[in-house]
Amino acid sequence: MSITNRFKNRLIAKVITRYPSLAQRFISAYEPWESGEAVPWAPPQKPLAECTLAMVTTSGVHHSTQEPFNMQDSEGDPSFRAIDGATIGSAYKITHDYYDHSDAEKDLNIIFPLQRLQELQQEGVIGQLADTHYSFMGHIDGRHIATLIGQAAQEVVKRLKRDQVDVVLLTPA
Amino acid sequence: MGLIQREIEKAGIATVGVTIVREYTEKVQPPRSVYLKWPFGHPLGEPGNVKQQRAVVLEAFKALYGITTPGEIVDLPFRWRRHDYESYEEPDNLSPGGDKQ
Repeated sequence: MSITNRFKNRLIAKVITRYPSLAQRFISAYEPWESGEAVPWAPPQKPLAECTLAMVTTSGVHHSTQEPFNMQDSEGDPSFRAIDGATIGSAYKITHDYYDHSDAEKDLNIIFPLQRLQELQQEGVIGQLADTHYSFMGHIDGRHIATLIGQAAQEVVKRLKRDQVDVVLLTPA
Repeated sequence: MGLIQREIEKAGIATVGVTIVREYTEKVQPPRSVYLKWPFGHPLGEPGNVKQQRAVVLEAFKALYGITTPGEIVDLPFRWRRHDYESYEEPDNLSPGGDKQ
């Protein structure tokens, strides 16, 4: 994608964040993938105070040292970044041209509420917070949807299982 | 986001998502969601507003245990920049069969 296009996307993102009613055009034009399959259902079996919880976000946040998401591809970047809960707060970047993340740069918790979860863990509301969380950039379209579902999401599922995660909280942007 | 949520739940892990675009969520149908009519980039609220962010997280957990219909979306009553979180009552029974919606 050209630099002009990236500039255009960022400008649109700023405008629709400020005037949400203008976003309706973009939302209605977007056709999300529809499976027609039954809604998956695996309700939690234990109280939250006994659960291990991880977060998955589609806000495009990642460690400053990690490779940024690819913003050149108009169909998005279906890869994910593993987020270390212990260090993400000190040096993070948000790579995502499709929303205005200037507020999230001031306070990560508005897209990735890690500090709130850490407090709830200390208070005993949440049993255990997983060490690793996962971040995608969202805004995936076209051919990358299959990669997202068939590969990236499956790898994240495998890691969540390995980490014995019981509950996942998902946050968008 | 809903697509990823569905895959995680399919693997047997319970999920709840925060959404600010109800229309997408209705189409994708992730198992459990809480909806806020808030601007993009602000699913948990405003920078530095700890009480607000905490309330959204807790309402998501309440929905995690309270939703009994797959695909249900709970509309949270928090109005953008006009809600007083001082009077927010935190759920006290986040467990199976606990707080019902």
